[in-house]
Amino acid sequence: MIGGLNGDAASQARLLRAIVPIVTAFYRRRMQHGQSDIDDLVQETLIAVHTRRATYDPERPFGGWLFAIARYKMIDHFRKSGRTCTIEGLEDILVAEGFEDSSGARMDIDRLLDDLPTKQSDAIRATRIEGLSTAEAAARQNIGESDIKVSVHRGLKALAARIRGE
Amino acid sequence: MTVNTDQLIEALVRDTPPVPRRAVGRRLVAGIAAGALGTFLLVALWLGFNPDLATAIRHYSFWMKWGYTLSLGACAVAATARLARPDGDAAGWLWVMALPVLALAAIGVFEMSHVPSAQWLAMWLGQSWSICSARVFLLSLPIFGGLLWSFRSLAPTRLRAAGATAGLTAGAWAATLYCLHCPEVSAIFVLTWYTLGIGMAASVGAFVGPRLLRW
Repeated sequence: MIGGLNGDAASQARLLRAIVPIVTAFYRRRMQHGQSDIDDLVQETLIAVHTRRATYDPERPFGGWLFAIARYKMIDHFRKSGRTCTIEGLEDILVAEGFEDSSGARMDIDRLLDDLPTKQSDAIRATRIEGLSTAEAAARQNIGESDIKVSVHRGLKALAARIRGE
Repeated sequence: MTVNTDQLIEALVRDTPPVPRRAVGRRLVAGIAAGALGTFLLVALWLGFNPDLATAIRHYSFWMKWGYTLSLGACAVAATARLARPDGDAAGWLWVMALPVLALAAIGVFEMSHVPSAQWLAMWLGQSWSICSARVFLLSLPIFGGLLWSFRSLAPTRLRAAGATAGLTAGAWAATLYCLHCPEVSAIFVLTWYTLGIGMAASVGAFVGPRLLRW
């Protein structure tokens, strides 16, 4: 970056090439869009990094500067595409939002189960989430079937109490 | 994809002039200076200088006014320079700005304690309260335009905040130049009507920032 600021085209090119995978990963983690959208955003970010490199302060971390630009370009992209959002894309959007809800719910469940003793949470995961039978779960955890049933029962009771805020 | 990323990088770096030190500050100062020249000409040709400027300049109230508008202007430029960078945050400078406001308020209370309360209203309204704020606002427009030019090569990411500080900067420097015309002398006049004009400029800046500062 410093080389680029001093007018060294070769080091500026090295910098831009090094940025490409970082920024691509940044967008891929945050967006459920097609590859072409992400490519466009990466290129826009490269252009901004190059043409507005004067706004980089060498005394501050480079990463913060780069990701601030990347984030701005992403928000700008959402704003633009939000304004011209077509009705044909609606199904995709709904699917994506359903995905977000379900992954959010999955995270909540994981967090709740983590609070239970391992034996109970394993039994609940096996029988209620993965859909194994009591016998299969018992075989996998090397404990008796009645033990599984009791663990599930106690675990669910504890979860219900926790959700009711007791 | 329309252009290959490698080709794009090749094309970009073909144009890599060195960036001067303090490039952001220079760019802002250039924009403000160009705009301030326009504002100065407006004061000179449209409003005219205060005919008593030579005596006014020896009086403390002129320096009180300049001290107020110049310190606001300096803080506003510092805040704008922070927000012109993508990772900038200007909250600190906006707190510093409370100091001149409080200082002027203290002077205002001190002045009022030395005159009978029957004159307070006259002190507060002066002769030009109804036009002062609007003039400060109008005079801020050339400087705001200059700042918009500056921002074309900068990278603000918080557009509303950047627009507001740009408006604040324009308003404070416009008020500084308006002092060359304005004959008012009381602190509470300045505190109310100058600040109102500067605040109007900042509000309009915040309003148009997201539209005009996009990049």
